Amino acid sequence: MNINYKFITTLVLTVFSIYLVFALNTEGSERILLNLLTFAGIYGLSAIGLNVHFGWTGLLNFGHASFMGVGAYVTILLIPHAAGREGEFSTNGLPLIIALIVGVIAAALFGLLLGLPAIRLRGDYLAIVTIAAAEIFRLLVRDLESITGGVYGIISFSDSLQNYRPDFIDNLLTNFEFSPAQAWVGTLAWILIFVVLLLLKRLNNSPWGRALRAVREDEDAVRAMGKNAVWLKLQSFMLGAGIAGLSGVLLAFNYGSLQTTTFVPLLTFYVWAIMILGGVGSLMGPVFGSIIFWVIISETDRFAVLLFENANGQQIAGVRFVLVGLLIMFLMIFRPSGLLGKKEELLLNVK
Amino acid sequence: MSNNLLEVKNLSKSFGGLKAVSIDLLTFQKNQLTSIIGPNGAGKTTFFDLISGFQNSDSGEIFFNGKEITNIQPHKIARFGMVRTFQLTKVFDRMTVLENLLFSGSSVKNDSFLKSFLNPPTQRNYEKELQNRAYKVMEELNIKHMANSYARELSGGQKKLLELARSIINNPDVLLLDEPLAGVNPKLAEEILSLILKLSQQGITIIMVEHNIEAVMKISDRIVVLAEGSLIAEGNPSEIRSNKKVIEAYLGSENE
Repeated sequence: MNINYKFITTLVLTVFSIYLVFALNTEGSERILLNLLTFAGIYGLSAIGLNVHFGWTGLLNFGHASFMGVGAYVTILLIPHAAGREGEFSTNGLPLIIALIVGVIAAALFGLLLGLPAIRLRGDYLAIVTIAAAEIFRLLVRDLESITGGVYGIISFSDSLQNYRPDFIDNLLTNFEFSPAQAWVGTLAWILIFVVLLLLKRLNNSPWGRALRAVREDEDAVRAMGKNAVWLKLQSFMLGAGIAGLSGVLLAFNYGSLQTTTFVPLLTFYVWAIMILGGVGSLMGPVFGSIIFWVIISETDRFAVLLFENANGQQIAGVRFVLVGLLIMFLMIFRPSGLLGKKEELLLNVK
Repeated sequence: MSNNLLEVKNLSKSFGGLKAVSIDLLTFQKNQLTSIIGPNGAGKTTFFDLISGFQNSDSGEIFFNGKEITNIQPHKIARFGMVRTFQLTKVFDRMTVLENLLFSGSSVKNDSFLKSFLNPPTQRNYEKELQNRAYKVMEELNIKHMANSYARELSGGQKKLLELARSIINNPDVLLLDEPLAGVNPKLAEEILSLILKLSQQGITIIMVEHNIEAVMKISDRIVVLAEGSLIAEGNPSEIRSNKKVIEAYLGSENE
């Protein structure tokens, strides 16, 4: 009963925010909607990974962007690409599917590497270490110009994915001014969300998921029961990092170019906002949270115009942060368990 | 082989300049109910932390069942069959009572990621059997009606019961109880006490830290007295009751 009520509210809110896109934009609303749904799919997938860390296991990970980055860079560097200022296109590379698997595993291993020294830390200390590690990763990628293209980034890699684009996407989009390439990335993102959620649902109800929740509640008691809390936390870290790596690859294909500036801490904070909005610890939460969040992000300029006449681009960008900040503040005050989170499992008090 | 299940030799632990534990030799026999008493700050809980692996000792050796367990990780010690509870009750607050027990009762193999992912029939059967075990323990400890409540909704005394239930679900050889009666009303304390006695009669070796002297005198086979980290007396309840050193430690020396 309670769950249904929550679910209906969430659905209504989601539909309403999609309606807002049409209400606020007189033209091109389909294009805007498809664009934001693509981003929502990618960020939602990332938030699902973060939810494994924080919602299930209680790990305060503020370096999520680096997991996305590792997945993206490893995958893109393995497929045909052109890196750097005068980057030459290298035709030799692995097939995308193999590169993707390697990339996801690399992200998971990066989680393990980061976790081994850091995961014994608790609460905010882990947060500090992860945010620092994510910045180190980003700066390292920026400075390794010979491999990663540095500030010039990597381009010309999209064909590896777009060659697999089915015709029906192009046919469906003939009436819209929308890039079929982006639609294909968006479709994949939502398919992957579906698949990942199915897998996680299985794990959440399993003894393994139960063990993670126990770790979240009290590590000492977990140890006293003969369970290796550190190993459980590392497994959780790897799984969430792998999912983040997957979403990072999609993000790269969505932009069509890979830039270090994509993986700034702001990305992590967006993913956090999505997870909190959707409901920490809930499986479906990040999916709806992501859609609503992206409506807010992409329609900020409309709101800003309503609020301030003659606002320029810079001012609108400011309003965007104000709105996201306000959103999180109001959530914390009025609905700390998010849209779909269980009140009984309110998770925001980290030990 | 001797009857010593747990043997502690030259164990010491200091915090800064303070000697928290310094014990030359202390042994615990199989199937005995031993209580550790002593004034506040005597090192009782630190001693528990040392033998259960939650703190590393500065020097000394600990043997369990003839195996050295000095400074090894707590989960490994628990897997050997020595399970502890905590002075400040640690239950899994946002999990139900049943889930608390299922987690504790579940084997490490059953918890594995791969197995959970594949969920083979063996695991499903194991879970069913585990659930039966959990209900049996809950019935025994009178918390069955709370099975689906979140652990944080329980009263302090019920949490103590849950912690106890969680510790015995896998039939440990040794149970380390850190103040099982602290903050519990007299009626429930009576209940917990008879439960501990029952567990002891079932063959579980129990080592208990407790401040309630009356209770300790009533149920213990043997009492160990610590003061300022060292062993000052050991013996059966009546020996301890008349031991001059113990009375001094508790009531202060006459010639001060």
